[in-house]
Amino acid sequence: MAAAMIPVWIISVKKVKEELAKVKIPMLGIGAAFSFLIMMFNLPLPGGTTTHAVGGTLIAILIGPFSACISITVALLIQALLFGDGGILAFGANSFNMAFVLPFLGYYIYRFIKDRVHTEKGEYAGMAIGAYVGINMAALAAAIEFGLQPVLFHNAAGQPLYSPYPLSVAIPAMTLPHLLAAGVAEAIFTVAIYAFIRKVSPGTIYEGSKKKTKAIFGVIVALICLSPFGLIATGKAWGEWSTTEIQHVISNGKALGYVPGGMRSGFNFSTFLSDYALKGLPEFAGYILSAVAGAAILIILFKVIGGIVSDRSEKSRKRDAERENHG
Amino acid sequence: MVEWLLQDEHYVPQTDKDTFINKSILGFLRIVARIRTQGGHHAKSYQVNASIKVASTFLLILLLSLSGNPAFVVVVIVYILALLSLLRANEIIAILRVGLIVTLFTGIVLLPAILEGYESTSIMIIAKVFATVTAVNILSRTTRWHDITRALKRFFVPDIFILVLDIAIKYIVMLGDYTLHILYSLKLRSVGRNNRKYSSISGIAGTMFIKSREMSEEMYAAMECRGFTGAYTKYSRFGFSFVDFVYMIINVGLLCIFVYMGRK
Amino acid sequence: MIDIRNVSYSYPGVHALHDVTLHIEKGEAIALLGPNGSGKSTLLKLINGIISPDSGTYLFNNGEVTKKKLQDAAFTKLFHQKIGFVFQNADTQLFCADVYDEIAFGPRQMGMSEEEVDGRVHDCLELLHISDFKNRPPYHLSGGEKKKVAIACVLSMNPEILVLDEPMEGLDPRTQRWLVEFLVTLNKAGKTLITSTHNLELVQEISRRAVLFDENHGIAADLPTNELLMDIELLKKVNLIDEFYHRHEGNHHVHFHMHNF
Repeated sequence: MAAAMIPVWIISVKKVKEELAKVKIPMLGIGAAFSFLIMMFNLPLPGGTTTHAVGGTLIAILIGPFSACISITVALLIQALLFGDGGILAFGANSFNMAFVLPFLGYYIYRFIKDRVHTEKGEYAGMAIGAYVGINMAALAAAIEFGLQPVLFHNAAGQPLYSPYPLSVAIPAMTLPHLLAAGVAEAIFTVAIYAFIRKVSPGTIYEGSKKKTKAIFGVIVALICLSPFGLIATGKAWGEWSTTEIQHVISNGKALGYVPGGMRSGFNFSTFLSDYALKGLPEFAGYILSAVAGAAILIILFKVIGGIVSDRSEKSRKRDAERENHG
Repeated sequence: MVEWLLQDEHYVPQTDKDTFINKSILGFLRIVARIRTQGGHHAKSYQVNASIKVASTFLLILLLSLSGNPAFVVVVIVYILALLSLLRANEIIAILRVGLIVTLFTGIVLLPAILEGYESTSIMIIAKVFATVTAVNILSRTTRWHDITRALKRFFVPDIFILVLDIAIKYIVMLGDYTLHILYSLKLRSVGRNNRKYSSISGIAGTMFIKSREMSEEMYAAMECRGFTGAYTKYSRFGFSFVDFVYMIINVGLLCIFVYMGRK
Repeated sequence: MIDIRNVSYSYPGVHALHDVTLHIEKGEAIALLGPNGSGKSTLLKLINGIISPDSGTYLFNNGEVTKKKLQDAAFTKLFHQKIGFVFQNADTQLFCADVYDEIAFGPRQMGMSEEEVDGRVHDCLELLHISDFKNRPPYHLSGGEKKKVAIACVLSMNPEILVLDEPMEGLDPRTQRWLVEFLVTLNKAGKTLITSTHNLELVQEISRRAVLFDENHGIAADLPTNELLMDIELLKKVNLIDEFYHRHEGNHHVHFHMHNF
């Protein structure tokens, strides 16, 4: 996963260097601090429980997607090294999900909608949708990365060598909480913060390049959808990192909002994010429930994803072929 | 002077769930405290060179992940426990607490798997998780952050990136402290039912962003005034002592054991 | 009203308060004096329930304020309504998108109708002469204006006790003068006033009683303000004044001295 991130990092650094060189450096560092701290906010949910947001889309809109990529990566690195909760192993994958998928997808969806619906409401809607889709896609990516393990790696007897949880369990377990609660919180938080800053200090917001939103959007989307296949292709080398996957769940789950970040006295893994201390049985029961629900949802999801992916990869292959012919 | 100020308020509060404020405050407090107290206070003679520590921690994690041999994992855990025993009591407690919580959580996540018969895999994973987490924590608790970033430079990480890392750490504390006070302010004014909770918390986050923008502009101005051109050199003396030597021998030894035990 | 008995508190590794005992009655105007780091701010945080003492007791209206009680939502809400706290740094006090909302925040929480809220907000805007800023974001106001907004947003909840941490800090002379007059008016209206300050010029006007902290984080003296200010030896001992400080006919002020080098 880290390998997949390297080109993204290189492009981001280049872009940042282009756009504003020296001025950017303090902002990247402070942006990283901001990104780190945003994940510390507890957001209220109905019922009195709380969740967290990542703010990746928000940061991308505020300082630009490439700067956001670098800042969030740095924040994740600091979290991994400083808080030693295992994020270090899943760093590559976490970066991919939260420093790439979330900000870029969210940002370009926002731009896409904003450029077409020229009203303020449209802009906010674009932001909300961007953030919501962004975080859910990030969660989905995490789920897929996690759930492909048993498919790819098993011993002669058919027993999984590493992570034993298939997609049918991984996907619903990770995406349900986001679809239902964390995603909504993320969207609201994003829009609310942006609105506040807009009102109070609009000059601080990134202007954004006016050109070429379409092409980049297409490339990004293609990249994202191709990633599950990339996973299978690079499977062998990457798959050795078995503990990565578990750490992935924990640190990713933590950062993605359904586990409180930093050092806490309790973690949770229930499908309806709440901050209560470790209670063995309820968590377990919730887990089983989501697996059962997942079996049904899985069929739908796979069909839908399969449909979109083959469509998109068709389109991007065509586009790439065109570009090669013309370029 | 207005009427209502001259009288006492006869107020009976409604209930409202605003645990999110307290939790946010706790989160911020922990972060700021953690970074402020971070870094070794050990006697100079026992300090191992930061670069070596960083390299060996990464090596350890790499080997752990790649290994399929339970015996090797055991060896590593023993080694880590030995390292742990050299630290101070409060550090040990803090490190073990995180390690055990994460391990316990891993165990719970893997519970269904264990019940389905994948015990050996699961236990291996749990053990590896414990070892990795503890190793990273030992590193982060005994080394000053700036020594770690300096060590990274030795491993060909670009200058700019390291500068960003250093700035980030500093501003997490400054910005975190600043935001903590606003959170207190919100808490103190939470005297009843807040129907605009998201408005409040995002007001704080928004203020945090604007403040961070100001800080970055100030910092940029300061950098300009001191002639910053993009190069960020950190001066480090690579002192190599006896302790470092011992440390390295152990690490090489671990590598050998790993190879000897073979990869499954 | 406020009864603090033998209270001590330390931040991790740092002593902040040592065996402090203090009793404050309703309607008093009291000043906490002392050099930086002596514990004034910590005591104010304690009074407001942001921290709880490591040892000793804190009684508010004859009920003990404990960590546990502070976790009870009903208790804290009423508690915070009765004691208003104006921070030293107005920047960290304000978090709403405009001044109106900032001042309306407290009353809205208290369940008042929008009419009542509007009434309160406008009253506060007028009292503090900030009506012009009603729709402006607090972020763009000057230091003095921000301070007024900070006071307004606490005042609108109509607390019985007003606690102010270094209120004169960073204000220009005219605004300082205005603030002194305003605080006196509030005290006359029945509000209990607790201020921490190291401004010896104005302290006599905003307090009748002064509590002096020393460098050991304990209380060195608790006297009527004018008496305390006359004890120059004591003030020097706790490092609140230097050797060039002196009084003229019952009023204190500091001269600038020029030495020929």
